[in-house]
Amino acid sequence: MTVLITGGSGCGKSTFAEKLTESLSAGSRVYIATMRVVDEESARRVARHRAQRAGKGYRTIECPKDLSGTEFAPGASVLLEDLPNLLANEMFGGGDWKRIAPALKELSGKCRHLVIVTNDVFSDGENYDPPTAEYMRCLAQINSEAARMAEVVAEVVYSIPVWLKGDAPCV
Amino acid sequence: MKLYIGGAYQGQQELARRENPGAEILGDFHDAARAALLRGEDARDFARRVCGEHPDAVIVANEVGSGIVPVDPAERAFREAAGRALCVIAQRAEQVTRVVCGIGVRIK
Repeated sequence: MTVLITGGSGCGKSTFAEKLTESLSAGSRVYIATMRVVDEESARRVARHRAQRAGKGYRTIECPKDLSGTEFAPGASVLLEDLPNLLANEMFGGGDWKRIAPALKELSGKCRHLVIVTNDVFSDGENYDPPTAEYMRCLAQINSEAARMAEVVAEVVYSIPVWLKGDAPCV
Repeated sequence: MKLYIGGAYQGQQELARRENPGAEILGDFHDAARAALLRGEDARDFARRVCGEHPDAVIVANEVGSGIVPVDPAERAFREAAGRALCVIAQRAEQVTRVVCGIGVRIK
C-alpha cells in the first residue's frame, strides 16, 4: 500500500507517519531521510526524528538526492521523509527535480508499503520570489502525482488525520 | 475542552461562541503560543498547563503552519511552537472543529 501524508509545520505528521508505518507491517522497515544537516537547527531536527524512531527497527538510508539510487531488501516497508526536502535538494543542489515522480513510482513497486511525507506550504497567501514560486509549483505537481499513485491520502491537522482519499488504515 | 481552528478570519471565534454559549473562550491561542515561546516556555508544557488550568475552556486558534517555511528563524520557531502546542490541545480535546468560510468541519 502507498500512503501520502501531508500537513503544515509542526502538525504532527512525522509522528503520525511513523505510527502508521509501524502499524502497517511488522517486517523490515526502512527510513529514507532526505534532510541535509547544514546547521544546528537541522541537526536538532534530525536528532529529534532519530530519537523518535529509536528502537523501532528502522534502517536509515540517507538520500538527499536521486531517490532511484536507494537500495534495500525487497518487501520492506519504507517511510520516505520528506518530499519538500528532496525537491529543494534536487532543485537548488544541482540535481534534477523531474526524476522525483518516476522514482516514487519505482520505489512503490519495490517495497511492501510506502509511506510518503510531504508538507502543505501553499496556504499562507504570500507572494514569493520566482525561484520559490517555481519550487512551490513543482512541489504541488509532485504532491498531486504522489496522491494519484497512493491508495490512501491523509492530511494531519494538529495530530488528527483527515482522510482525503481511500479508507483509513488501522493506526 | 474543545478546539476550533482555521485559517485567518475563517469565523472560528464566532462559531465557537455560537456553539458554546457561556463557555470560557480562549481566543488567538496561536498568539499565546508565541508569547510562551518568547518567555522561553516549552510549547507542549505551555499547552499542558493551559489544559490543567482551563479544563473546560474552548480554545480558538489560527492554523499557521501551512506556508513556505520562513527564512526568519523566529518565525520558523513560532510555527513549530504553535503546531506542537495545538497537537497537545487537539489530543486532549473531546471535540476539534476546523472552520472554513464560517463552516465548521468536525475532525474529532
